[in-house]
Amino acid sequence: MSTPDTTLTTPSPGHDSVASVADSLRRRITAQLSFDEDRFFLILAVFIGIFAGLAVVCFRITMEWSRLYLLGSAINPSPLRAFLAPALAGLFISLLIFTIFKGAAGSGLNQTKAALYVFDGYIPIRTVIGKFITASLAIGSGHSLGPEDPSLQIGAGLASAVGTRLKLSRKKMRLLAPVGAAAGLAAAFNAPISAVLFVIEEVIGHWSAGILGAIVLSAVSSVVTMRLFLGAEPLFRIPSVGVIRWQELVAYAVLGILGGIASVVFSKAIGWIRPKLKATSTTLQLLYPGIAGLLIGLIAFAGFPQVMGAGYDFMDQAMHDQYTWQILGILAGLKILATTLSFCSGTPGGMFAPTLFIGAMLGGAVGTVERIFFPNLTGSVGTYALVGMGVLFAGFLRAPITSVFMALEVSGDYSIILPVLVANMFSYLISRRLQAAPILELITRHDGLSLPAMEEKREEETLNVEDAMRPRPAIVLDGTKTAAEAWPFVMYTAEPYFLVGIPGQPPAQISFGELRHLVEAGDTRPLRSTQALTMVPYLHPDEDLEDALPLATRYPLIPVVNRADLSQLLGVLDLADVMEAYRKSQIEFPAPY
Amino acid sequence: MNVFRRDFVVREPLLVGILVLVAVVFSTITHAYSQAYDRRRNQLGQQWYANGNAELQKQRPATAVEDFRTALLYDPQNWDYRLSLAEALTQAGHTNQALNYYQSLWQVNPKNGLVNLHLARFAAQAGNVSEAERYFNGAIFGDWAETAADHRREALFELINFYLQRKDAGQAESQLIILSGNLPEDPVLHTRVADLYSQVGDYQRAMAQYRLAFQLYPKYLPALYGAGKAALQIGDYRSAETYLGRARREDSAGPDVHNLLQVAQSAAALNPFDHGLHESEKIQRVLRAFQIASTRLDACQKTSTPNGSVPPSLAALQEQLKQWKPNANARFLARQPDQIDALFEFSASVEKQSQSLCGQPTSEDSALLALANSHAMDEK
Repeated sequence: MSTPDTTLTTPSPGHDSVASVADSLRRRITAQLSFDEDRFFLILAVFIGIFAGLAVVCFRITMEWSRLYLLGSAINPSPLRAFLAPALAGLFISLLIFTIFKGAAGSGLNQTKAALYVFDGYIPIRTVIGKFITASLAIGSGHSLGPEDPSLQIGAGLASAVGTRLKLSRKKMRLLAPVGAAAGLAAAFNAPISAVLFVIEEVIGHWSAGILGAIVLSAVSSVVTMRLFLGAEPLFRIPSVGVIRWQELVAYAVLGILGGIASVVFSKAIGWIRPKLKATSTTLQLLYPGIAGLLIGLIAFAGFPQVMGAGYDFMDQAMHDQYTWQILGILAGLKILATTLSFCSGTPGGMFAPTLFIGAMLGGAVGTVERIFFPNLTGSVGTYALVGMGVLFAGFLRAPITSVFMALEVSGDYSIILPVLVANMFSYLISRRLQAAPILELITRHDGLSLPAMEEKREEETLNVEDAMRPRPAIVLDGTKTAAEAWPFVMYTAEPYFLVGIPGQPPAQISFGELRHLVEAGDTRPLRSTQALTMVPYLHPDEDLEDALPLATRYPLIPVVNRADLSQLLGVLDLADVMEAYRKSQIEFPAPY
Repeated sequence: MNVFRRDFVVREPLLVGILVLVAVVFSTITHAYSQAYDRRRNQLGQQWYANGNAELQKQRPATAVEDFRTALLYDPQNWDYRLSLAEALTQAGHTNQALNYYQSLWQVNPKNGLVNLHLARFAAQAGNVSEAERYFNGAIFGDWAETAADHRREALFELINFYLQRKDAGQAESQLIILSGNLPEDPVLHTRVADLYSQVGDYQRAMAQYRLAFQLYPKYLPALYGAGKAALQIGDYRSAETYLGRARREDSAGPDVHNLLQVAQSAAALNPFDHGLHESEKIQRVLRAFQIASTRLDACQKTSTPNGSVPPSLAALQEQLKQWKPNANARFLARQPDQIDALFEFSASVEKQSQSLCGQPTSEDSALLALANSHAMDEK
């Protein structure tokens, strides 16, 4: 899409040379000192990344302090602490949510999306503080939730706070929220690429070059900041992947199927329990986090304290073959139960880490079983656990692109891509087949909101200019001819505007009235030399119709020209054509960006 | 857009300055917070590590495993904690977990000598020769935190023992030759190497190492004892007598030394192959050997046949003994000197046969057996 250059450089013959030099100098200094809006937005993205990184560092440390005080310093808490801490902390958190921090409940992911689509990217700072305190208490006390989704909301909240302080426009505020979200998630998971992809896949819903740069900058700066304080080590030790034999792909397919089934069970459990609990009285809802904590305490008391908290240490152990397949299977099942309880009770905390935990346990179990039956065939159990994480991510969160890149980014080994693709494909397909609505959409519906469904949005067909343009019109005037020569072609038509072909240049436009005026005035100059011609922007057939829409509202007729020869007119487009194309395709009108 | 831009021309440098300032303040607070937490983490890590070591000393590896895992929670990359966890897992009998843990450590640092040594032990236990050799070599040429030469030598000793257990004397001996070429001046080490040489049957090299041990510590009992045994094996009975005599003086209570000394003395007195021995003396020694063998055979027949039946091999020897008896005298042997060796061979074969069929031999029987073995080796 190209717009005509309307800048005029008019000389000032009246000014003396000194004034001219001074003026030039002033302009140069002003140009050096000023930033344009887009460039400042990129600088702002870096700062948001730094702030989000610092906030996530504080959040993680607070979470660890909570764990130390509430569950003790041992890796497996004492039975009394395991039994009491999540229940009592749950009650306290519930009180905080119902009295001071009303917006802090839930994972944070859907709240961020709601902020983006409903409140123009605005997240109150009270919600950020509330999420920080309540999520760190909940995860630290052993509730089966993760820190990633709250970190995402904290990042978005900080971005919103910065944007509000700077009095940014509504449009910029909406852009800023995903920037902060990516930064928060990247710092929490120590994986910038996955965070960027996840935000694009699950929060924004489509690729947008305008925002991609800012998101990448913020994600990278937040990860760098986080690593300055917490070190560059991953959350779990990554096993070496090694050579994957083709026969092993069968086992990975089985892992994908099991992961898909587990994802459906997990989604259905949340989909069934959560609305039922939300429909009960406020008094009862106040008690749910405590009750959920009590039940998780019971699971820990029964000998499975691994299900408490985010569980990264136990994922590490599963990756390094520290459990039998039976224990791994039990842990996967209990984690689904514990996370369902914690999440449905409204306790603040994310589902990102529990999803990875369940996947790691399932993957570890499949790898261990395969090793028992095919001892010479199996690669490391750790590889299966790693693939399992991606499988649940694809099946439960329905983020297939992120799931593949996450496994790649975390392992740093490209040989994992084939098993990940095979397993994720099965998991995603099974999940889609057995569970129509993705979990995030399901939760949105429970909350009574109508946010764009990202899975559908990803698969939307995009329209191009060529889908809407009309063929080259019958009348295109020759710019080398005079108005009088052109007049016989147009005098009996009802068209208000005509395109004028100019050799070596894109077509211009002239109105019926102006042409008639030239004829009546007896102007003998060629049309291209008259002042009556208007330069109009032009389009190319492969451009997005979404991008052409603003032009169509401003200009009555837009020429569509060949990229190699701008004077070659291929067709024309007006607002009615655009509307007709959208109507025929039944695609909704473009989102805010 | 224009309003926004004009606004920022004026205030954007100021805004960037403010953002930098906020970032610095926020970073300082975060730094202080994280430092406080890091101190606590280190403290807890060390505390749980100490707990784990104490539990290991109390022979409670299962508890130690939990303690080390907790220590690692606070310092996940700490090499000592990780090694200790792997060691505790091994002691707790979680072989697979320990093996995986060592393998993950190896992936981090494939040159670490200790990790290679542990992996070599696992491979040796599993009978995986090529992997054991690879890891043993990794330990021998790997990095060690301190006293690297000592650790590398110990790894080489383990590799030699691994070959000996697999009855691969050739590989063991070749590694021993490498090892003995790099030994420090230590009588204990020379004696260990000499003992291993004896195990692979290279008594000459064993003697050389024992001698190096004496030179460093003339009264070192294991070296004297080992040298006596090696000298017996190679038929140097006078030297054996000397070394074992010295060993007995150092440790008069040792029954083994006493018995071996008697064997050496008897062998020295019975040896018909002594250099410069007069023929009459040689005949006397062969006749004495025949007498010992006859007594052994008679005694053996009585003890091994409580129900009156005689094993065929003993019956055959008894028959040969009857044939020899008329000629087993000095006059016959002086007339037929070619029969001297034949008579000794017969006596030796009696001792060899009776060794497997009869009870404990006397010192003279043992001496005769040693002579027989030594003579057979010389003949070979």
